[in-house]
Parts: sequence; C-alpha cells; structure tokens
Amino acid sequence: MQKAERRATAWLLPAGIVLACAVLALGLGLNGSWGGVLVALVVGAFWLVGRWRRWGWVASMALVLLIGMAVVGQVGGAGGGWMLVGVVVALVAWDLDHFTWRMQAAGCVKDFDALERRHLWRLLIVAGAGLFLGAVALSVKIRLSFVVALLLAFLAVLGLSRVVGLLQREERGGISLFGRD
Amino acid sequence: MRRVILLSSLAYALLFLGLGTLNGGMLALAIPLVVLLGAAFLWRPETPQLRIVRSLSAESVSPGTPVVVTLSVVNEGSPLEEVAIEDAVPPALEVIDGEASTLSSLPMGGEIEIAYTVRGKRGAFEFRDVRVAAGEHLGVFRQHATFPVPGRLFVLPEISRMRQVAIRPLRTRAYAGCIPARQGGGGVAFYGVREYQPGDPLRWINWRVSARHRHQVFTNEFEQERVADVGLILDARRRSNIRGAGGMLFEYAVAATASLALSFLNDGNRVGLLVYGGFLDWTFPGYGRLQRKRILETLARAETGASMVFESFDYLPTRFFPAKSQLVLVSPLCDSDPPMLVQLRARGYQLLVISPDPVSFEARMLGAQPDVELAARIALLERALLLRRLRRAGIQVVDWQVDQPLDRVVHASLARTPQWFRAVGVEV
Repeated sequence: MQKAERRATAWLLPAGIVLACAVLALGLGLNGSWGGVLVALVVGAFWLVGRWRRWGWVASMALVLLIGMAVVGQVGGAGGGWMLVGVVVALVAWDLDHFTWRMQAAGCVKDFDALERRHLWRLLIVAGAGLFLGAVALSVKIRLSFVVALLLAFLAVLGLSRVVGLLQREERGGISLFGRD
Repeated sequence: MRRVILLSSLAYALLFLGLGTLNGGMLALAIPLVVLLGAAFLWRPETPQLRIVRSLSAESVSPGTPVVVTLSVVNEGSPLEEVAIEDAVPPALEVIDGEASTLSSLPMGGEIEIAYTVRGKRGAFEFRDVRVAAGEHLGVFRQHATFPVPGRLFVLPEISRMRQVAIRPLRTRAYAGCIPARQGGGGVAFYGVREYQPGDPLRWINWRVSARHRHQVFTNEFEQERVADVGLILDARRRSNIRGAGGMLFEYAVAATASLALSFLNDGNRVGLLVYGGFLDWTFPGYGRLQRKRILETLARAETGASMVFESFDYLPTRFFPAKSQLVLVSPLCDSDPPMLVQLRARGYQLLVISPDPVSFEARMLGAQPDVELAARIALLERALLLRRLRRAGIQVVDWQVDQPLDRVVHASLARTPQWFRAVGVEV
C-alpha cells in the first residue's frame, strides 16, 4: 500500500504546462502576435501558481483560455501545426493535472506506480492519435459546399450529443469519490 | 465543471466555429478533444460488480480501544481500470490508522483489502454502505455504485468493579443467591429460634434457649439468601442532565448503571434495565453473561432525549418490574421527581436512588468565583432538602460526587451503622 505521491507526473505536469504555453507563444510570436504571446505566458504562469496554491479550477480555465488562444491564432493566420501541438500538449497537461488531483483525493493508492504508468501510456496513445489525426486534417485540403458543411455539422453535433447524453445517463446519480470532476 | 461537459463543450465550439467559418484548421483543433472523448468512451467502465465483506476485530470494546475494520473486496464483474472504494465511517469514530478509502485497479476476480483502525467514545455505531466509483484511466467517465455492507460496533461504557451492593428487596426469587430473603432457613446470618424439627442438624440446636424449657428443644434459624429481581432505571431526560466543557453528567450515570448492572448480575440476580428519556428503551430482565451483553449494548447506545411525555417520572412504566422487587434509579433528580418516587415506594418497591450530584459537577465546571460559590451553596441546600424528602419516605439515597469512586460512596452510604453506635444515637 502506498500513499498517493506525484512521481513522473511531478515533473511531467509543470513541463506540460510550460511546453503548451511555450508552443502557443512561439506560434503566435512567429505570426507577430505579441499580445497573444504575453497572454499565453500569463496563462501558463497563472496555471503554475494555481497548482502551487492548490486552486482546483485553474486547470480547466487555463485549458479553455489556451484553446481560445489557439483559435485566435488559427483565425489570425498563425501556423496551424503550432496551434495543434499547443492544444494537444495543453490537453495532456490538463489531464495530468486532474490525475494528480485524483491521486491526492484518494485516501490511499494501491500500486501507484502501475496506475501512473498505465495512465501515461493511455495518455500517450490518445495524444499521439489526436496529434496524428489533427496533422492529417491540417494537411488534407477538401473543398466543401455550404450544404455539405451544414450536413456535416448536423451529423457531428448529433453524434457527439448522443454519445455525451448516453454517458451522462449512465453516470447520473453517482457520488464523486475521485475528488474534483 | 465535469470533465465530460467541458471536453464536449470545447469540441462542439470548435466544430461549430470550424464549420461556420469553413476553417479546416479549426476543425483540426477539435480532433484531439474528440479523440480523447472517443478513447474514454471506448474504455469506459461497466457498472462495478463487487463482493464486499466487512470484518471488525471486535464488536464490543471499551472507550478508546482501537478496532481494526477490514473490507475484503472481490471483483465479480469486468476489469476495473481505476476504482475508488470508500467506506462510510460513522462520524463519531476517529480513524487513527490507515485509510477508509482507497484507489486501485481491480482485474476480473481480483481482490483487495482495505484495513483501517478506529476508536471512539461510548456509543453504538452502524457501518452501512461502501461507495464505489469506477473510471477509466483518463478519468472522463465514471460508474458509481453503493454496496450495503452492514456492520456494528459497540463502544461500551466504562465499567468499574464494585463490591456487592447491599439491597434488601421485599420479595426474592426461589434460587439461592446472596440477598437476604427475610425468611428463615439455611444461611449464614442469624434469623431467629424455632422449635426443633426432626432432621434439623444437631449443631443448630440452641442449648441456652432449650435449657429454659423442660420439654422442648429449640434450634437456630438462619436467614435464607436468594437472588432477586433488580430493575435498573437510568434517567436519560435532557432536563436532568448537565452538559459542559468538562463532559456530561449523563456519562457518569451511564458508567454507574453499567457497574451496578454487572455487580447485580455477578451476584446471580435477575436484572432488567429501563432507559427513561426521549423514549423508553427497555431491556427485559434476565440472568448471566447474555444479559450482561444486552444491558451493556443498551447502555452503549443510550442518549439523553427530551420528550413532553417523559419529562417527569409520572409515566414510569412500573408494570415492567415485578411487584415488591428492588428498583435502582440512577438520576441527578429534579424537583418534580420525589412524589412519583414516593409513590413507587408506597407500591411496595424497594427503591435505591444513586444520584450523581449535578450541583457540584456544574460548580466545578464554572470555576471558583464568589457568585458561583454562593449559587452552588443555595442549590446544594435545595438538593439536600430534596434528598431528605426521599429518605423520609424510606428510599435509600446515595448522593454521589462524581469525582469520587462509586463503589466507595455506595458502600459508605448503604453500610449499616454498628449496633453500639446506634445505641448511643450515632448514625454514620
């Protein structure tokens, strides 16, 4: 039996936060958007301070802000690759942040190393797949008519909402033992 | 914010923006989020199917004694990547070692054991549910379940050993014991002299009395000693008990009742218990170790309570106690109590009142101040009058300062004054 302590996540999490902000800042900086660079750095610092002060809500807010900046960068003509990498790394950092909270909220963690290893592997697979598919999406150029785009949007929204609805129904009525959701 | 809602909201927003602006880059940004949601959906957990067994190292302990609670959890369903298991520990118990919750992975057929140590003050504690939350490694989707795993822990009151309490009920039971039965027969204490009957042991012949009568022989008779019915009444009315920073007078009353019950049971008596407070908690009279367990468990869960009905002793259910039996009331007493107690005495019950002194108890808590001392003196006078009223009615009263050992106080109060003292008019 082993008390939940951060190990690999202890350095992966701050590294992920710094990397996500740095990549986005670099992408925005290369595009000449110095205001965006400043905001990215401030968000990164805010996230790190939030971790240090144990503010649970900071990670989600930082993720929203970083994705928002990636969107702004995408619209502003910054490099799509930089933005994609920034979003993927921010997502990884956000997930590691939650993992750390989960481990700390649990009274006792049995075989922490194995849990952490499996979590990191799963995260690596998901992040790799996301990055790969995102890169493919960036490199493939398909011209869509408005009607097709509308149809695709409808299908995407319908599919995603059905999945989310289904999972929420399954989950409803529970009590959170993992600390924060 | 729940993770799934946040992720899906962001994915929606990016999809809408991408399709709305026909910006492929924006759609590409949504892909990692959708992949994360999809992966979590793919590996989402099923409803946990666990077999959980609880065991306690002891079910009845004295206050402060550590008890190890062990939960054995076996997974009878599909593998669980991350499962958080939390035992709902009664709030009044303190976890002193280990953790009542754990996070682990649990393969199909796998087993884990959660052990933690608790301790607590007097009380009856119910362990009820074990809450389980299973999730996948990414922590996006969860399945929650609650498993009823009942368990019960009694933290019994403090018990101090007592010597035999001198009671003399008007009626005893048929079995031999150690309570004087007010009947001649085999015993130890001299009871009287009667005419010799065939079968009487020769050494019982009272030669002095026989010498005074020419044609008759007399033998000594001894007082029979038998077991008796003892009804213990614990006053749990909130109005008569004092709570303060230093504790609660009721706890002393509970401990005294437990010690008395054990003393009476050890002497072979049939003992019943009535906790008179917010409601009536009745333990039917009985003998021996089982009855000891029943009474201690009743005392473990005894709490003070307020009730309009049981505010005074007017509704004391005397039908619970056999006629002419010994009643022992443990109560700090209120001003309105004497009439009902006198009535009990008039009905033929032998009544012993053990009264923890509330005035001294409260005065000690308040500290030595002139006002408090004056108030305590007045209150002590009132209490002395109240106790005198009871004594005049033939009720045995033990005025107990709770900082003194109960055994010593009871024996000092109930001991018979030596005859030569009484002869000169001295009452001890």
